[in-house]
Amino acid sequence: MELSLVIQIWMAAIFTIWIYSIAFRDNDFFKFAEYTFVGAAAGHSLVYGVDNIRRYGWDNLMGGAYLYIIAFLLGILLYTRYHPQYFWVSRYPLSVMVGIGIGLSMRSIVTAEFIAQIKATASMSLLRGDLWTIVQNWIFVILCLATLYFFIFTIPEAHEGGLGIIPKIARYGMMAAFSYSFANTVLSRYNMIFGRLNFLYTEWLPLTGAIIALPVVLALLAYAMIRKSKG
Amino acid sequence: MSGQSIWDRLENIPREILYGILLVVFVIPMVFPLGLPVPISSNVETWYDTIEALPPGSVVMIDFGYSGGGEPELGPMAVAVYKHLFRKDGIKVVAMSTSIEGTQLWDRAMDEIRPESYDAVYGVDYIHIGYIAGTETAMAAIGTDLRATTSTDYHGDSLSQFSIMDGINGAEDFDLLICYTTGGDQSEGWVRQWVTVYGTDYMCSVLAMMVPTMLPYQDAGQIISVTSGAQAGEMESLVRVPARGIKSADVITLTHILVIIYVLIGNVAALMKRGGNS
Repeated sequence: MELSLVIQIWMAAIFTIWIYSIAFRDNDFFKFAEYTFVGAAAGHSLVYGVDNIRRYGWDNLMGGAYLYIIAFLLGILLYTRYHPQYFWVSRYPLSVMVGIGIGLSMRSIVTAEFIAQIKATASMSLLRGDLWTIVQNWIFVILCLATLYFFIFTIPEAHEGGLGIIPKIARYGMMAAFSYSFANTVLSRYNMIFGRLNFLYTEWLPLTGAIIALPVVLALLAYAMIRKSKG
Repeated sequence: MSGQSIWDRLENIPREILYGILLVVFVIPMVFPLGLPVPISSNVETWYDTIEALPPGSVVMIDFGYSGGGEPELGPMAVAVYKHLFRKDGIKVVAMSTSIEGTQLWDRAMDEIRPESYDAVYGVDYIHIGYIAGTETAMAAIGTDLRATTSTDYHGDSLSQFSIMDGINGAEDFDLLICYTTGGDQSEGWVRQWVTVYGTDYMCSVLAMMVPTMLPYQDAGQIISVTSGAQAGEMESLVRVPARGIKSADVITLTHILVIIYVLIGNVAALMKRGGNS
């Protein structure tokens, strides 16, 4: 195995342990790993940003696409926001960026986010199909209508008396949806932990010296945690 | 502490103990795999069948739109699907990244896939056209005119020298779009910029927590199949390339049983305390 790869694995492994140590208690090793990660991510983004300017802007400009001068000028104008007197100039390139973003989204958002969803809900079969599908579709339609009612009719009278049952159903529906999302979040997080532990187990621990380094790293962490809690 | 009831203590178990037990439950099945069965869900089956049905000569666009944090979940799925695509005859796979870390993660995936073992050749059967900044702007630009958006692959080599790119100029030249992502901007952006505008067939694999927000698109027929990276084990079973996904199934099952136990303990303690107080 190449030396550079060995160094990468060692660094990744030790930083993984330091980062996850926050689950047990705050410590200086965690902070060091956290700041290093933030710094490395910022550096990585900066390098890619410069590369993008070169790849998609500068190369095209040098290739004869002189309209890219406008893009460069707009980009430079963004930095005027750091000047107390001329910060307002940065609003022009910002408005161009926002305008392009909104324009691109709006060309399809009505079809993608509204019409298609409404069409799919409206075409649900409430009487045909197997029993399980019919029950599912009824639950879907009832919860959909109740949730719409909950957000559209916000006046207090619409949430009281006999009508109060509708927002109540909506609340139960929304809580079920949120809990489904939350349960899936736990699943995602556990997958991430598994990924890192699997890395430690299959890539780091088989390396020479790792099995000895592991208790040393853990002992240092324990010491840092105790010191921190005493301090 | 001495004045606390058993229910108080159960409600306030130190997190070090809870995480410690969790860590043990993570490690045991990793060291001693249990080989628990991996049932195949309908969405994964649909995904598999869609790729199976691709005729030779089909062109697939894959967006590596996930960040490093999502690699443990989405990486195994991406690897299994790539292996499936490479195993089929005459499928061209063009990859791009809407995530800044996507190109490195693609490299990592290729190390695991080893395309040469499928006789897949870079530039002929597969290619990576690099990270394209701008998310939805990038999707729209690639869809309209790929060559005007980027003229090089991710190494900086001209696209015109690669035979795989012959006749590929925009969204209409792709038969299938696949997106792996940790961000809703990407998974939903493709629906807005490619599916709605060009009618491209689209499948996405997202973090499990994003699945509920993506399912309405599947129900509306805008996405053929939505899967979570956590289902990588199912895909590996179908494609018959057992790897990290299947290995994680044991761990995920056991840790979730532990979470259910934690939830039960917390709820029982809360209920008993409420009963005691009343």
